[in-house]
Amino acid sequence: MRRFAVALGLVALLGAGGAQKSGGVLRAGMQADPVGLDPHTTSATATRNQLENVYDTLVRFDSKGKIVPSLAQRWSVSPDGLTWTFTLRPDVRFHNGRALEAADVVYSISRIKDPAVKSPRAGDFAVVDSVTAPNRTTVVFKLKQPFAPLLAKLAFTLNVIVPKEAAATLGNKPVGTGPFVFVEYIPNTRMVLQRNPNYWERDSKGNRLPYLDGITYIYLPDATARTTALRAGSVDWIEYVPAADIQTIKNDPKLDVVGGLSANFRSLYFNLKEKPLDDVRVRQAIAYALNPQEVVDVALFGAGGIVAKGTTIPAGGFYSYDKSPYGKPNLDRARQLLREAGYPNGFTLDLKVTSTYDFLRAPAEVIQAQLAKVGIKVNIQAEEWSVYLPNFIGKKFVATIIGESGQGDPDDFLYNPFHTKGGGNYMNFSDPTLDKLLEEGRATADQEDRKAIYDRAQERILQLVPMVPLFHSAQYEGLATYVKGFEHFPNTSYLGLRTTWLDK
Amino acid sequence: MLPFLLKRFGLALVSLLGVLVLVFAMVRLVPGDVVTNLIGLEGNVSPERREELRRLFGLDLPLHVQFGQWFGALLQGDLGTSLRTDRPVLTDLALRFPVTLELTLFALLIALAIALPLGVTAAVNRGKTLDYLASLFALVGIAAPSFWLAILFILLFSLKLGWFPPTGYVLFSEDPLGNLRSLFLPALALGMSLAAATTRIVRSSLLEVLSLDYARTARAKGLPERAVVYRHALRNALIPVVTVVGLQVGNLLGGTVIIEQIFGLPGIGRFALEGINLRDYPVVQGAVLLVAGAFVLVNVLVDVLYALIDPRVRFE
Repeated sequence: MRRFAVALGLVALLGAGGAQKSGGVLRAGMQADPVGLDPHTTSATATRNQLENVYDTLVRFDSKGKIVPSLAQRWSVSPDGLTWTFTLRPDVRFHNGRALEAADVVYSISRIKDPAVKSPRAGDFAVVDSVTAPNRTTVVFKLKQPFAPLLAKLAFTLNVIVPKEAAATLGNKPVGTGPFVFVEYIPNTRMVLQRNPNYWERDSKGNRLPYLDGITYIYLPDATARTTALRAGSVDWIEYVPAADIQTIKNDPKLDVVGGLSANFRSLYFNLKEKPLDDVRVRQAIAYALNPQEVVDVALFGAGGIVAKGTTIPAGGFYSYDKSPYGKPNLDRARQLLREAGYPNGFTLDLKVTSTYDFLRAPAEVIQAQLAKVGIKVNIQAEEWSVYLPNFIGKKFVATIIGESGQGDPDDFLYNPFHTKGGGNYMNFSDPTLDKLLEEGRATADQEDRKAIYDRAQERILQLVPMVPLFHSAQYEGLATYVKGFEHFPNTSYLGLRTTWLDK
Repeated sequence: MLPFLLKRFGLALVSLLGVLVLVFAMVRLVPGDVVTNLIGLEGNVSPERREELRRLFGLDLPLHVQFGQWFGALLQGDLGTSLRTDRPVLTDLALRFPVTLELTLFALLIALAIALPLGVTAAVNRGKTLDYLASLFALVGIAAPSFWLAILFILLFSLKLGWFPPTGYVLFSEDPLGNLRSLFLPALALGMSLAAATTRIVRSSLLEVLSLDYARTARAKGLPERAVVYRHALRNALIPVVTVVGLQVGNLLGGTVIIEQIFGLPGIGRFALEGINLRDYPVVQGAVLLVAGAFVLVNVLVDVLYALIDPRVRFE
């Protein structure tokens, strides 16, 4: 009997030590204010990150990048890939008390598509012919053509489901179905969110989410100031820890850093209309001469990025391709290719970069040194972001270092930058073979078939080298050790705050 | 006195008009494009849509028409709408100006609280150790840039000693004491160079006055040194101090830009900087106009104050 009591006590003790506690307000140090509060009319990451826990999407990405149910508990696709049917959870309420209905999903998607709303993501649903609600819990999407990335677009946390009656005031007072309720926003000072006691989601043990009583976002634009605020204890959690501060925080026993891979790519872009970059041998020579590992080690302190092993898709994912012929410098091969192309003594390459972001400017100097070894003289031109961006979009560059952020679908990483009609194809690059593969990838729903197609597409990209992928920017969040349960998402998303709790 | 005031205010209005034209022209001379900045790289936006946005913002109109529209609205008290957030510029300025004003006045107060006693002490102890220490302070204070001091103060007072929060702003209406605590370090960093410069002026001005005939007369009729310094000399010695301090308030206002950024304070400077980075014209114009207006107003006040202290000025 006594032994039993001891055992019981032990179990109780262990339980107390391991289980999460509810309560407490997380003070989060953020880099920037939201750009407007209406999620449908902005593309700002700051707005998305600070409001994604006020809203829900139809489906969502988990921390591994897999699509999982959210407001829709299940879905199916017709064999021709043209009809998608989603079944909604029955137990969801908006923060204003009204129950979620299929009509709200129809309204939200139509709102994003409506030209009058001026959503920057109207194009996400361009292939959607119609959205209908045959009953209160069923939503049917009819597409003009098969479009496998539809789920990824629906999971994007600015494409959220809003209640129609609140649409006119969403810019001042967000109303969603998410785990936190919007309380107030004071520009440059703070945004306050409060726990939604009626939130539908439970953890694996059946406890209600979220654990926190609330989140207060505090705006600290200066990166060093954010780190200092965390070290001094005036915030519990910060975003965008600069690479140079990671070690400082790790050395502090009361603090920790989580994070790493982020869904993006940074590449050396070529303008294929410019000589001598119109010659594929010259582009290959540059790719053979570069050493991306050294770029990461020197320009990014070894911590700010993860070396690109294949193309634009980060390594380790289901669609990643790792049979790149480049990566380790092969100077003999590079010189040979330059000779074949008619540049045995190299040439001068104008490299335009932005001076505003260190992670895009510093690699230029490393590249300059690396290409000098094969006789290519790199001429660096640095421009402030507001000057650089219009030049880049207007394709007024010979070579440049930049990249884009994706979400989880390979289509984001491949179609946009490399298809002839891709919105992110700033290289004047056009290859009918690749276009065909990328279109096939869009229309194929089966994952294995899709992977085979995208493998061939990436092999083709590496052959033609319209850009040399250098690295994937890493993203880190800093936190006090009593902040538990926070998980880093690789797609710049703070959905991990839903399961965060404070052990103090 | 009245003609003097009218003349000063008239000149102030002319300077403000000049600022208006200059600011309007300058923000547009800087290369960069607000529409591209707003859309960014990842927005899925066609060239036609970009043109439409430009038209909606009125950026396709000739410059003189744009200026006329802005100036017309300004006369009715409308500073326009931020292209980025769609909020009225005036609302945001009204929200932020108190922060910048409080920071500036706090810095001024700290500067005077340091400079007056230190300057007087240095003058009275001329050539002694205290004088040299005060001069050393003045030298270091003038040489050290405020942003560098700010970082040092954060390291010492926040991280090491934990006396003040390193960053962030507390609303006065919610916690007056916390508000002062959150502004103390920024105000100290901002006010340091003014404190140093003022120490030197107080010292040299007081020394000059103390060598004048009436100071000698005061001493000769047997007044104690304390009375000579504080009752007779100091008042006259402060005239040049008022001028210099008054003009320096404008520099303090300008200095808030970097200090607000470092300490994460929601003031005008940070607002203007965000506007500049995005080429959000109405925001930059509004913020610069407000700071310039404050600058001009302070100058007029200094002139008036000067006339009050020193009657000779009025009759020139």
